[in-house]
This record gives sequence, structure tokens and C-alpha cells, in this order.
Amino acid sequence: MASSRDDFIIAIRSAFLKKSTQQKFSLLTLVFISIFIIVLSSLDFKAVRYLKTAINEVVYRSSFIVSIPENFIKNSFIEISEYTTFFNNYKKNQEELNKLKSNYVSNEIIQYENNELKELINDYVYSSNKILAKIIVDHNSPFLKSIIINKGSKDGIKIGTNVYDQSYLVGRVIEVNYKTSRVLLLSDLNSNVPVTIAPQNIQAIITGTGNNYGQIKYIKDGFLDKFSGQSIIYTSGTGALFKSGIPIGKLTSIDDNSTNKLNVDFFSDFSQLKYVFAEITIKTEIKKTELDNTENDVENNKLIDAKLEILENEKNIIEQTNIKFQEENEILKNKNNILSNKILSLNNEISTQKKIINQFNVDKEELKFLRLNLQYGHKCRRSFFNNKGFMIGSNEYKNCVLNKGRINNG
Amino acid sequence: MASLSTKSSFSKIYYLLPIIVLFISVLNEFDFNYLNLKYFSFNFPFILIFFFSLKEFKYFDYLLVFIAGLINDTVVGLPLGISSLSYILICIATSYLRNITIRPHPIKDWFFFLFIISLINSINYSILSLFFSYNLILENYLINNFFTFLFYIIFVNIFKFYLKGIND
Repeated sequence: MASSRDDFIIAIRSAFLKKSTQQKFSLLTLVFISIFIIVLSSLDFKAVRYLKTAINEVVYRSSFIVSIPENFIKNSFIEISEYTTFFNNYKKNQEELNKLKSNYVSNEIIQYENNELKELINDYVYSSNKILAKIIVDHNSPFLKSIIINKGSKDGIKIGTNVYDQSYLVGRVIEVNYKTSRVLLLSDLNSNVPVTIAPQNIQAIITGTGNNYGQIKYIKDGFLDKFSGQSIIYTSGTGALFKSGIPIGKLTSIDDNSTNKLNVDFFSDFSQLKYVFAEITIKTEIKKTELDNTENDVENNKLIDAKLEILENEKNIIEQTNIKFQEENEILKNKNNILSNKILSLNNEISTQKKIINQFNVDKEELKFLRLNLQYGHKCRRSFFNNKGFMIGSNEYKNCVLNKGRINNG
Repeated sequence: MASLSTKSSFSKIYYLLPIIVLFISVLNEFDFNYLNLKYFSFNFPFILIFFFSLKEFKYFDYLLVFIAGLINDTVVGLPLGISSLSYILICIATSYLRNITIRPHPIKDWFFFLFIISLINSINYSILSLFFSYNLILENYLINNFFTFLFYIIFVNIFKFYLKGIND
């Protein structure tokens, strides 16, 4: 028993310490060095950071060169498959391009408006500049989803810089070297992006899955029923990690009914990326400090001028609208006068008509009386033989004629 | 004379081929990931290092293996030293296997390889998730482990051809 344990110890000791003639270091030494490097890399020392940056630069470039044959084969295969569907794609792309052009114009207008409004409320203005970057290393590793681009701190890239494929979000920079940077893709497990789900306007967080789709997390249970296949996901800008309003993907399917997982199909295909855009943003505060006063004065004057110009424009617009209203008012007044005149004339006409009608009625009554007078006058008239009659011209006589003779009450 | 020097430089490159291939594989991640097969990935450097350190190949320098590990960490984006530690642990395991084995057998080596890569992947996973707070999918590690184990026997036969070429 003791001897077998001794054998084990001897074998282990030999494995760790025995150094062949051609080996410069024993394995134990290398293990210690590895552990030392791991500890150093977990601590953020300046010297280690510079060393790491230097190693990264050399390794990324070497990796790019070594990957050339493999990339050539891969790209050739993709190109051949693209040529087979070339014409159909061309037609589709043209239609899409026309639509996009119109959208682009309206987007630009909105951006200008947004900037103008931000200036008005003394906020800050982001002036961004998108630079094209080539992907030099993309190994599509199943463990970590990241790419290396050929732009670094020299080109103004910082940790957190947003990276796009056209206008779709791809990820953000997590490591910056002098001429290269590492971009963590949205599909990586460690990627978390605050998003808004439209049109429902619900806030959530999208995380990577390690595959070519994302997953919606941290959402209230009550909202799960509201989503449809048409829901679009874009960045909300919460936490200031990403700019707001960058499209990410579409809500596709509910993964599992029991757990209610929501999957997101990214607009961009991360496995086909060749070039990306890195957005370098420069934050310009409207309010300046007291340093370099002259520059500030000029800036302030410019700002005040801009404000005045806007206010003058507003005033002009209001004046013009006032004049228009006045003109309209005049026209309406005239119309009103004409109409009141018309009403007056119509009233006059009505009164004359009424008079005529009254006269007509009177004449009609008179005529009726005369006709009845001829027939029944002798019955009502007082005479020698009729002493119960009435005097001609009296009201009683008239009533008697109209009643066709005297009414016998008795 | 010229032909002699060409021959010697060619043979030198031939001797250094395993190390060259190791460096190319870590720089290029020779693992067919671009095929986009959902459940497929394997670790070629593990196979190469295990085989050549087991055979105690003269030109397979541990220091270069260590450097290859550092390069792999840089390319993949892992904290520096993780892959170096893994590679060196493989070398230690093979050295131990050599010490305790009197009569080598390929199948025994194969299963010892499975044990070692499982152990090393577990260490890797633990370090990354515990000390560096990385979110990793265990399933991917298991798949990688399985395919690396399967591919070992294929690559071993190719490497044997290479060694046969040296001996001849």
C-alpha cells in the first residue's frame, strides 16, 4: 500500500519537476507562471494593460494573416452562392432602396428637429461620426461571441463605442488597443442591452444566447400576452450604454409556453459580417465652464443669435397668420353685411305679402257678406213686416246675415 | 552543398511541424466553427498537445506550448493564462501517464485523454465563471469535450503517419 502511494508520488513529482534536455523550463514553473498571469490579468494594473495591448496588437494581426487562406475559401463559397441568386436579389434591393431613400429623408428631418429642440432646452448635442472598420478576426467561437476590428484608440474608439452593421446594432467595444478593438456581439451570453419593444412601448432587456438569436429578459409578467410577431425591438438608451432608437431585431416566437421565453431575431447576420461601422460620438455641452471666456462668449452669442433667429422666425410666422386672420375676418364681415341686407329685404317682402294676404282675407269676408246679404238680407233687415230685424250696417245685422238669418233661440 | 542545406532546412521545418500547426490552430481556431453546425465544436490544440507530449516529441517545447496558450487566450478573448494553464496541465498529465505506463495502449490513452480534457474543461469553466463572472453554457463545454474525445482517435492516426515519416 505504502509502496503504491510512493510510486504515485514519485510519478507525480517526476511529471512536475523532471526536465528533459530540450526543455528550458519545468512544467511546475510554467504552471506557476500561468497562475501568476491569470492573477495579474484579473487585476487592472497599468503595466499589464499596456503589455496586454501590445500582445493583442501582434496576435490580432498574426491571426488575420493566418486566417487568410481559410477566409478566402469561406468567402469564395459565400460569393458563389450569392451569384446564384444575384438577379432576384438585385430587383428586391432596388425596391428596398427606393423605400429606404424616402425613409432616410424623413429621418434626417427628424434628426435636425431633435438637435434644434435640444439646443433650445440647453441640453447637450451628440455629434457622431461613423467610421468604417474591417473585421480582421471572427472565429465564431461557440463560447464567446466577439469580433476584432481594425480600428482602435488611434481612430477615437473607446470602450463602449457602439458598432453597427449598416444601421443595425451589432454590439459594443469591450477592449481597445492602439489599432484594433474587440467588439462583444449582441448574441454573446454576457451581452445585455436595454431595449424598447414597439409598438407596445414596453421596456425590457435583451440578452445573448450564444446562438444567432437573442432573448427578452426582465419583463413584467402581465405584458407577455401583448406581444405579436410584428413587434420590433430597438435600443431604449437607458443606462447610456447605447444610443436610443437603434434597431436590433424582430420578436419571433415564444420559445416555450411554460416558461414564456421571447426570442429576438437579429436584423443583422453576425456570421456574415465583413465590415462594420463604429460610431464615435462627441458630446458637446451647450453650457460651458468659465474657462476660455472669449470662446464661450462667442459660443453664447452664437447660441443667442440662433435663438433670436428662431424667435424672429416664429414672430414672422405669427404676424403672417394674424394678417391672414384679419383678411379672413374682413371677408366674413362683408359677407355678414350682405346676408343681413338680404334678411331685411326678405322681411320686407314677407310683411308686404302678409298685408296682401290680410287684404285678401278682408275682401273675401266682404264678398261672402255681400253674397249672403243678397240671399238672407231681407230676413235680417228691420222693416214694417219684420220688426225683429236689425238696422242695416250694425254688427247684429252683419252677424245675422253671416248666420244666414236670425237664430231662433226659442 | 546547396541541396544539402535545402534538405536540412526542410527537415527542420518538418520536425517543427507540430509546433507550427499548434500556432496556426490557436491563431486561426481550427475547429470548423464557420460551418455553423449547431452541436459541433472540438479543441484541436488539446489533441495535438496530448499526443506529442505523450510521445515526448523532441521538438515539442513546453515553453512554446505555454506561449500558444497565451495566444489562444488573446484570440478567443479569455483572461490571459487560462489556456496556458490548460495546455501545461495536459503536458503534466501526459508526463504522469508516461511515468506510470509500462506497456502503452492506444485505447487506454484515449480514455485517459477523455478524463484529462474533462478535468481541464471543468477547471476552465470553474475559473471563468467563479473568478471572472463569465456567463458560459455548460452544454457547449460538454459537446466540445465529446467531439474532442471522438476526433482524438482520427488525428492520432494522422500524427502516427507523421512520426513514421520522421523515423523513416
